[in-house]
Amino acid sequence: MAKPRVSFHDFTSCEGCQLQVLNCEDELLGIVGAVDIVNFREAIDEKSDEYDIAFIEGAFTRESDRKRLEHIRKCAKIVVALGACACTGGLNVLKNFRGIDESMKKVYGEAASWYETSPALPIEAAIKVDVKINGCPIPKQEFLEVVKSVLAGRTPQIPDYPVCVECKLRENVCLFQKGEYCMGVVAKAGCNAWCPSYGGRCYACRGLITDFNKNAAKDVLAEYGLTLEQVMAEFRMFNGVFPVAEPPADGALKS
Amino acid sequence: MLPQILPKSKFDEFVGSLSADNRVVAPMAKGPAFAFQEVQTPEDQAAIRMDYDLSILPPKKFLMPQRETLLSFGGRGPENVQPQVQAKPTVILGVQPMDLHAIATLDAAMAKDPADPYYQAKRAVTKIVGLNVAQYANDYQFMADMDTLDAPASGWDLFLTDLGDRWFVEVGSEAGQAMITKCAGFSPAKSDDHAAKVAFDKAKAAACSKRLPYDARYLPELLANSYDSLLWNAVARRCFSCGSCTNVCPTCYCFDVQDKLGLDAASGERVRSWDSCQLRVFAEVAGGENFREHADSRLRHRVFRKGKFILERTGKPGCVGCGRCSTHCVAGISILETFQQIADEAAAEI
Ligand code: SF4
Ligand code: SF4
Ligand code: SF4
Ligand code: SF4
Ligand code: SF4
Repeated sequence: MAKPRVSFHDFTSCEGCQLQVLNCEDELLGIVGAVDIVNFREAIDEKSDEYDIAFIEGAFTRESDRKRLEHIRKCAKIVVALGACACTGGLNVLKNFRGIDESMKKVYGEAASWYETSPALPIEAAIKVDVKINGCPIPKQEFLEVVKSVLAGRTPQIPDYPVCVECKLRENVCLFQKGEYCMGVVAKAGCNAWCPSYGGRCYACRGLITDFNKNAAKDVLAEYGLTLEQVMAEFRMFNGVFPVAEPPADGALKS
Repeated sequence: MLPQILPKSKFDEFVGSLSADNRVVAPMAKGPAFAFQEVQTPEDQAAIRMDYDLSILPPKKFLMPQRETLLSFGGRGPENVQPQVQAKPTVILGVQPMDLHAIATLDAAMAKDPADPYYQAKRAVTKIVGLNVAQYANDYQFMADMDTLDAPASGWDLFLTDLGDRWFVEVGSEAGQAMITKCAGFSPAKSDDHAAKVAFDKAKAAACSKRLPYDARYLPELLANSYDSLLWNAVARRCFSCGSCTNVCPTCYCFDVQDKLGLDAASGERVRSWDSCQLRVFAEVAGGENFREHADSRLRHRVFRKGKFILERTGKPGCVGCGRCSTHCVAGISILETFQQIADEAAAEI
């Protein structure tokens, strides 16, 4: 059987997720042995339109990118969204709340009119996505799980439960018990509770679990001293594309 | 063997004698809390905190680790499968009475229907040094109600009570007796030692009063009455379904099994890890059907497991009153409070 051809593409992002792929030092040789990498700007400069699996990094934030995304979709059998930018728009979505014009002025100043931009969106807004690897940046282990599953032709095992699970299994002291707060209660696990394990709080960079309890998020965070505005800011940080980040109706968060 | 006395000055020597042919694990500080950790260096030994109040995870993690490899496979077909039953001779130092009761519950649950060889292999080479407690760690605990303030009759090897400058050491097994004979620091307890131990237990009983408004033997029936109560929905409004309550519980033993593949897509490992009935995905089956889709039915299920089902299945308590679930619930959901509330539920229905 011919080796699957793999290609990496980047859109609006910091390219940190592609660096995470290169960080898979122990397994990288195995991957290179199992697949043919045809495009990877961070590591090689070959250019090809013949590939089976496309990893797309970065948010969809220019209308002119739609064509390129559609082209990739046409070439690839499997499209994998790589990282928060591609999966949810990531941090880029913050500019949507600030207003596009103001963001442009802030970033490009006088030259703002030279550039094209539109509200940041997940690539799913332009094309169909088959697999999502969440996180800012992606956890290496999840990238490997997806590669192995695609090679074996099975559905990758990606958690849909809160970061708290991994946090408790690592026996961390909860940030709430230290008088701080944390989005781990609503964030998707899979990073092995990366941030709380190093003493930082979780910002839900991996997105929100299905059916998260928004009442509890609002009520409980309020008991820990957060205003509704602060709760909203927590949601907007990485999950601004979801209804929960919209202004609440009658004091209740939207779902 | 009759109870012994170990002067505190000889405690390090005792731990050293255990380390000779065992992995020794003991409570140590972890931030503002405590966790059982391996004693590997003299610094670790100095960090042992026999005055700890409550560990984040129970000592269960040494009998059923958070993640463990069950078998490895080199390819397809049964001839390529290698079982991986791992068991290191271990001494768990400082297990409190409630956690001794919880281990007895796990022993019973893992003994049959079906027997769990992974647990049993570890249990067989684990020696337990229990530790008496003087008072509750916080307001969420209710060991007096669950009758877990004192050590169970068996299931431990030594049991230590702090008498100030010395440990009062009860011996619960032959392995415990062997531990005593291996260390020169022990001498038989005298009458004033016995009197001090009796006084300790008396003070403990006085300090740890009951907190349920009923006798815990009625708990299973009260729960059964509360099945259709609105209480579950009211409590679950705050519940994140995050699973912390079950992950820290000393009697929870649910797990998930997954195959982790290698890059050749043929070899790999079968791994089990702790699972939780509080997670939305727990009761989801092929095709997307979910038997406990909503947080209230999941929360009720946990409370029923703790207060009724495990007891009925194993004959041992499903809840030992340690209060960990409530201590670690971000939403402050307290099982003691829930147990208290169902008493009124039953009264309201009559
Ligand atoms: S998800 Fe984060 S790390 Fe990855 S490309 Fe976007 S900004 Fe960079
Ligand atoms: S620190 Fe965050 S992730 Fe960890 S248990 Fe607390 S809320 Fe959950
Ligand atoms: S702990 Fe939260 S913010 Fe940190 S990597 Fe995991 S999901 Fe992202
Ligand atoms: S720890 Fe609290 S919030 Fe989390 S599942 Fe348990 S009861 Fe619900
Ligand atoms: S249910 Fe709660 S109080 Fe009861 S044994 Fe488990 S953690 Fe302890």
